[in-house]
Amino acid sequence: MSGDVVGRQRGFATDVVTWPRMSSKAQSSNNLAHARRTVQQLRIEASIERIKVSKASADLMNYCSEHARNDPLLMGIPASDNPFKDKKPCNIL
Amino acid sequence: MCDQTFVAITFGPCDCCGKASPLMNIYIKSEATNYCSFCVEVMATQGLQAGESAASLKKESDSLKKKLEEERAKLSDIELSQVAEKIEVLAPLSIKTRRVLKGHGNKVLCMDWCKDKRRLVSSSQDGKVIVWDAFTLNKEHGVTLPCTWVLACAYAPSGCAVACGGLDNKCSVFPLSLDKNENLNTKKKSVAMHTNYVSGCTFTSSDMQILTSSGDGTCALWDVESGQLLQSFHGHTADVLSLDLAPSETGNTFVSGGCDRKANVWDMRSGQNIQSFECHESDINCVKYYPSGDAFASASDDATCRFYDLRADREVAVYQKDSIIFGASTVDFSLSGRLLFAGYNDYTINAWDVLKGTRVSALFGHENRVSRVRVSPDGTALCSASWDNTLRIWS
Repeated sequence: MSGDVVGRQRGFATDVVTWPRMSSKAQSSNNLAHARRTVQQLRIEASIERIKVSKASADLMNYCSEHARNDPLLMGIPASDNPFKDKKPCNIL
Repeated sequence: MCDQTFVAITFGPCDCCGKASPLMNIYIKSEATNYCSFCVEVMATQGLQAGESAASLKKESDSLKKKLEEERAKLSDIELSQVAEKIEVLAPLSIKTRRVLKGHGNKVLCMDWCKDKRRLVSSSQDGKVIVWDAFTLNKEHGVTLPCTWVLACAYAPSGCAVACGGLDNKCSVFPLSLDKNENLNTKKKSVAMHTNYVSGCTFTSSDMQILTSSGDGTCALWDVESGQLLQSFHGHTADVLSLDLAPSETGNTFVSGGCDRKANVWDMRSGQNIQSFECHESDINCVKYYPSGDAFASASDDATCRFYDLRADREVAVYQKDSIIFGASTVDFSLSGRLLFAGYNDYTINAWDVLKGTRVSALFGHENRVSRVRVSPDGTALCSASWDNTLRIWS
């Protein structure tokens, strides 16, 4: 029995990855184990504490405004401070 | 099932029967345990006798999913863009290409800045990894890997080593020597071993550990010195394409995104998946944490970028435009988190206002897809890597 072809072709793999197909006996207990794991995972996710979006948004805005003046790409910095900007040629008087 | 075949191969005594055999890392009542495959089967059938059945588990999982949706919706009292209406609109940015780094012979797939704010490492499809000095355009080191498509590269926090990986299914660490003539290949250390391509790698807070994401659907934490697998992270049901470490020093979490359209947040110590977000309509190509560590953004083939708040546990913004139809492959935040730079497959980089959800500027210059954008550690510049074989520094 040839294997299943799984794994994305992202345009670079010249050969595809194949995984062996599992026997049906193993599959039923796999499905059960998988279902149990999904339920466990969902229980964990459902139990975390959440805050309101309004509070979260306010905190994000505060962070942005606090750090905005230190953000060179946002505020722009003078050419003398920017190592990447080409400095004007000096004129020797 | 994907999960079974992607399990990392650890060998040792089973926590249940004590016999030494290949172990599977599973969770019982949120506790991580290692069982041999025989004991997992026994436990699965025992579950049946206890009154559980596949149908009852499915019912419970459906009701839990609905409960999750309701809980999340309850707290969604206002949109981020509405809250942000009172701040002033940003003027278009005066950002231009300041440097073009030429030297790669093929598509540049990945790059990373060094903490010294001037060096960077880049990797390309022809197997070459180059360390550049961005100020002088000098190539400081170069190494050729035996594989093509080096998809991931990272600079160590100390600046003394680089890690890279790709189609060779491995992630290798190269200590950088001061001697320019030394062949870096002689000091190469193979650290990570996956069963499929390595899509992303990053050092943790020290040079001693690396975190990798792979096409085999897992992420893994490795000790660099011994090459030992410290923790593996299972939960994605398809290739994992990207990962990012939480910024704070005390933070022990990271986020990963993959072809299963999910972005998962993981606890590094327990291997547990803490939160999961499934909002995109296509593969997630890149994930990046917001500078405060309380939120993250993702870029996807569905031509949108999305912003998620971790404490509110939901998506809070979508960055999209009707005129943008090509997939986004990479995102990064500016230093303050106000700007989100996203690189697209239509050769452009868009700068979005994170809070208002609007586009501030578009950066043109590349002649092929933009594969990676990264803001320098001090926020002065943005570096972009592209399939046109060049890297550009914008400032």
